Amino acid sequence: MLSFKILTARVKLATMFIVGLACFSVLLLNVAAAAQSTARAATQGRTGRVAKPTVNARAVNGEELQALLKRDGKRPLLVNYWATWCDPCRDEFPDLVKIDNDYRGKGLDFIAVSLDDVADLKTTVPKFLRELKATMPVYLLNVSDPEPIISAVDRQWGGAMPATFLYNNQGEVVYKHFGRIKTDELRAAIEKLVGSKQ
Amino acid sequence: MKKLHLISLSIVLCMFALTAGARTADVPEPPAIGATILDFTLPDVDGKDHSLNSLKGKHGTVLIFIAVQCPVSNAYNERMEKIAQDYQARGVNVVGINANATESAAEVKAHAAARHLTFPILKDNGNKLADSLGATRTPEAYFIDAGNKLIYHGRVDNSRDTAQVNSSELRDALEANLAGKPVAKTTASAFGCSIKRAD
Repeated sequence: MLSFKILTARVKLATMFIVGLACFSVLLLNVAAAAQSTARAATQGRTGRVAKPTVNARAVNGEELQALLKRDGKRPLLVNYWATWCDPCRDEFPDLVKIDNDYRGKGLDFIAVSLDDVADLKTTVPKFLRELKATMPVYLLNVSDPEPIISAVDRQWGGAMPATFLYNNQGEVVYKHFGRIKTDELRAAIEKLVGSKQ
Repeated sequence: MKKLHLISLSIVLCMFALTAGARTADVPEPPAIGATILDFTLPDVDGKDHSLNSLKGKHGTVLIFIAVQCPVSNAYNERMEKIAQDYQARGVNVVGINANATESAAEVKAHAAARHLTFPILKDNGNKLADSLGATRTPEAYFIDAGNKLIYHGRVDNSRDTAQVNSSELRDALEANLAGKPVAKTTASAFGCSIKRAD
């Protein structure tokens, strides 16, 4: 009888421990989410507005690019880092143009960030965009040291190109891919954002 | 019963929270600075096998993932060759690694001859070494000391345009290590061509 009581007490203790651990985990996650939300609210005022579609690329520095990546809670954003000298970038670009055409009207913003030389801003870059009938906003990143922006965009990204990031309307990365995109995978990720309310 | 519901709800919430993050890309993690790089064996462009330990210099090895068709890697050909010549005499050997599944050993050999690359180049078929080192782009360098400890990982310098170069992290790491000093900057990133991995 005594041992049965001890056993019952131990079971109760174990149950309380599991409940406590689970609740503590949920509490921690909620605190983290609240902190993120506060940080986002603090940056809402500096939310970048994407320029109107054009075949011309505009040079931006690292800070300007980071401002463009910020979201105002309304539209998700697809960002592709590419260059005209990068073969897989050129290979995947027609698929990205199609994605832009298919989803812009459904609420997806898309910007292409070129890593070409500034000297190519008025020549090679717009020529390539015209050939592909690309009309998404294109920015050419003009920085002397690429490391700060690579680290700011994603710590997991070492700078390999092409690289593609999908942000939800809160500016959080929900999908990323380094190397040539897997179109079906990317479209499925976009559908999750524009196909239902977040 | 209520307790049971509470437990179930908490576990479900925890599992949801843990799986709701951003989907991460399939990127191999590079070893930490200070980690020991295990010896490996790869064939050169003529098919002859070489191990890391057989190629390393008295004071270590610089492995650089390079490519035949990548304009960024090609922009560094002269700089890589100069580093190889400058540091071979000082006990550090440069070894090129081609892990692109799209470039054959014959193409790598012809490219090296045309671009006057005299350091050994190994073919990483199946990108096993690239996977174990977490290499993702070309050029991407790893400086390993004589004890096969990783000292530096990252770019050669800050710009593929030689006129824009104002920091040379790989050379800085080599100089510091050869002088017996700690390396100030142990990692540095740069834009480069993605390694074309085997499917």
